[in-house]
Amino acid sequence: MTVDAEQLGEHVPIVLVIDDCEDVHRLLTARLRNEAMELVCEISGEVGLERIHQLQPSLVVLDLEMPGMDGFEVLRRMKDDISTSDIPVVVLSGMQSPNDKVTAFDLGAVDYITKPFDLMELRVRLRAALKMRHLIQMLAQRAQIDGLTGLWNRAHFDERWSEEVKRAERSGSPLSLAVFDLDHFKQVNDTYGHPAGDAVLQGVARLLQQVARQADVACRYGGEEFVVIMPDTPPEQALNLCERVRVALSDTDWPGKPSREVTISAGVAGSNGPTSTGRDEWIEIADKNLYRAKSQGRNRACMTHVGGAGPRLADAG
Amino acid sequence: MRDEQEHPADEPLVSEFASDPDMIEIVEYFVEELPKRVQAIRSAVTDSDVQSLRTLAHQLKGAAPGYGFAAIGDAAGVLEASLRVSDGSIEGVMGQVEDLASLCQRVRVR
Ligand SMILES: [Mg+2]
Repeated sequence: MTVDAEQLGEHVPIVLVIDDCEDVHRLLTARLRNEAMELVCEISGEVGLERIHQLQPSLVVLDLEMPGMDGFEVLRRMKDDISTSDIPVVVLSGMQSPNDKVTAFDLGAVDYITKPFDLMELRVRLRAALKMRHLIQMLAQRAQIDGLTGLWNRAHFDERWSEEVKRAERSGSPLSLAVFDLDHFKQVNDTYGHPAGDAVLQGVARLLQQVARQADVACRYGGEEFVVIMPDTPPEQALNLCERVRVALSDTDWPGKPSREVTISAGVAGSNGPTSTGRDEWIEIADKNLYRAKSQGRNRACMTHVGGAGPRLADAG
Repeated sequence: MRDEQEHPADEPLVSEFASDPDMIEIVEYFVEELPKRVQAIRSAVTDSDVQSLRTLAHQLKGAAPGYGFAAIGDAAGVLEASLRVSDGSIEGVMGQVEDLASLCQRVRVR
């Protein structure tokens, strides 16, 4: 998946309220009606925790004193689970002792509002918590975005690739990896200058974003190298995608320099089903195919199957 | 109580949010439901159900100010606190229950 506004949290954030007192639900719903947030209310810690997993809200407003699972326990379980540990929690509680506050903050709460609460104050505190969440997400994401092309960077690739290899190993579903390298890129830079080279890199990135599907992860691996992770994608289909990129790029007219042709080579490693091939081994196989494409004259894509019964070759271009 | 001196016992108690269009609907709801809450408090007293009485007082303390009835929140808070010191004795908090109930009787939407 490429970077888009939704991932940066530009959509209306969901705020989940967990409180055993329905008055709190009613009051917050009335008071926050005009805020840029979607409010969801739950009446118990147990149901609330389920909803947290299901909705992945941007913020949780949490009561501490509740029958059954209390707020401390909800906090504890959220922090113990990697899928919920980053969701900010604002505690809304009648418990006023410094001990309770310290415990709540130790368990990861970002703010603590005491009941009875002033609704104006609550409103600005929720806004502040949402804004903080937004900025942290943006920073985290910026650190994984390539500045020149806007694609995911190497750091993001390393993280996602490990995840996807593990996921495919667990589920036995297909998986493909494509490595792209621009042909004779040094000549582009030397002949037309670095700004022209940068424009080519940006053009390739745009092309990858257009061709990649929602679930694909397009990254700039470094220099003039790009990679696309294709979850749930058999190798033949991945080779197809590479072909579309390759053909579209060689057909591109570069502004001001119509005679200039830019081409790209690609190596694909792909698996149709269960494989225990390691993450680095995958990359080596894709790299070998890239090398093969280069040595066969460039402007082409080469693919082999990973795992299963012996390597099968397939080339295009 | 301080509040009793400021307002005669029969003067209507009106929400401070009575003219807030965002709030009026839920204030009406609160006022409508209030007799049921008082009834529940009285039942808890009759049944000597301290746990329920504490919960009801606690919730009213938290909720009433939000609907614009700070005095009721205060009275419920006094009841909750008295329950804590009366060591589970209902007799010890009868005065606070009556104070709260008579305040609630004066509540009007506008
Ligand atoms: Mg509670």
